[in-house]
Amino acid sequence: MITLGSQGKNTFLEDVNLKSGANVLECYQCGKCVGTCPVSQYMDFPPREIMQMVKLGLRNECYMANSHWFCLTCSACSGRCPREIDIPAVMEAVRHLAIDENYINDSKKVKEIRKFHEIFLDMIKRYGRNYELRMMAEFNIRTRNLFKDMHLAPKALLKGKIPLGVKPLKSAKAIKRMFAIAEKLEKNK
Amino acid sequence: MKKLTYFPGCSAHGTSEEFDSTLKLVLKTLDVELEDIPDWNCCGATSAHVMTENLALALPMRNLVLAEKLENTTMGIACASCYQRMKVTKVHMDENPELAKRINTTVVEEGTYKGTVDVKSMLQYAYEDIGLEIIKSKVTKPLTGLKVACYYGCLLTRPKNITKFDSPEYPVSMDQICEALGATATEFDYKTECCGASFSISNTEVVENLSGQILAMAKESGAHAIVVACPLCQSNLDMRQPDIEKKQGVKYDIPIFYFTQLMALAFGYPVDQLKFPKHIVAVEGALANIGKFQPVPEKVKKPIKAVEAESEDK
Repeated sequence: MITLGSQGKNTFLEDVNLKSGANVLECYQCGKCVGTCPVSQYMDFPPREIMQMVKLGLRNECYMANSHWFCLTCSACSGRCPREIDIPAVMEAVRHLAIDENYINDSKKVKEIRKFHEIFLDMIKRYGRNYELRMMAEFNIRTRNLFKDMHLAPKALLKGKIPLGVKPLKSAKAIKRMFAIAEKLEKNK
Repeated sequence: MKKLTYFPGCSAHGTSEEFDSTLKLVLKTLDVELEDIPDWNCCGATSAHVMTENLALALPMRNLVLAEKLENTTMGIACASCYQRMKVTKVHMDENPELAKRINTTVVEEGTYKGTVDVKSMLQYAYEDIGLEIIKSKVTKPLTGLKVACYYGCLLTRPKNITKFDSPEYPVSMDQICEALGATATEFDYKTECCGASFSISNTEVVENLSGQILAMAKESGAHAIVVACPLCQSNLDMRQPDIEKKQGVKYDIPIFYFTQLMALAFGYPVDQLKFPKHIVAVEGALANIGKFQPVPEKVKKPIKAVEAESEDK
């Protein structure tokens, strides 16, 4: 599965640098990002290894890693990086390229993380704002885990922590139009 | 009377309603009038920028364009996540006019983006635009005796080149505000660690682990309570606390306040206006510490700087 060098017009390194605005070549593998990252223990490849894999052009391996799905974009790593590389932007670039080319890690966790984001975006598309209760319910149904967080529900609902409804935007059409145009922009890059 | 454009964010109507309502009380005392953005939309939060490039900029841009139609020069944002998405968009748009033009095509009907409105978090607004001296002057019921760990999370001060506010590693603005209210800010090393944020629902295990560490460190710092300025941090630390306690076999019992709740309390608002019943972890135990210790005589002025104040107490 190792693909060295270019696939299409650009090399993988060029693709990532262009998309992220960072220069991955500047990374000298000190590993400070790994020590800083709050979720590196959950990643297949911690940030330092992803950086090296980008340099080596390991496109498929990067795409299939779960690392860019676990990145919380907390920016702790980039704040401490001695080369001042925007590592979260690199993670994001790899993720967006992977989504574009339909290479997705199929572990249960990544599927759940992805499902959550899809449902969240769907809520915005429908209501213009987030509808928390419906989002949680849809997440439980679509991940086939009906009883997740159910023990928190009575207290949260009773205390008004999670409202029962949502007030949709007056200009709901504007949001739908925005989604449609953004989708087109996404395709004509 | 100062005027400020206000972006409450989706959570202000539910999860963080107590943030929204106490913020309004506090700003009333501080003589700031809020002007809502008409028909604002969700900023896209984490999900938009995780999944797509354009939507992550288009959703905040609509709000920025709408905010520019109001006359105020600053937009104050309650939610830390909304603040960051809006600020990131603003910085990118201002630096890259070509990108701005491209993204603007998604919100043509709302207007053209000009970049005339500054974006600030409410913490930043309270610290920079109102200032500690004025906050101090409005205190009628000092919170003397209450020890708090100020928790900023990732989004309020990072990335440094975007937020341009306080320190990304050891911020002190909230500590100084709490000290101005009479409380004591503890020396707390997990101020900017991540709570797990958007994994709250999709990856609860990570949140319980990360938030658990923050609770443990706050307890160790001697704090009676944690103070936050982010709805997601609050709900992760508060709502998930009983589960974390069960998992770790430890009893923390640390209530999680919004900094505006403590401000309103110190400004003399009655407790029943501060929405404490919305908290999952009861607040009474922590609040009982107020005035419990020997109050500091008025002549001995406490230094405002958080770290110094703590070491003097010892």
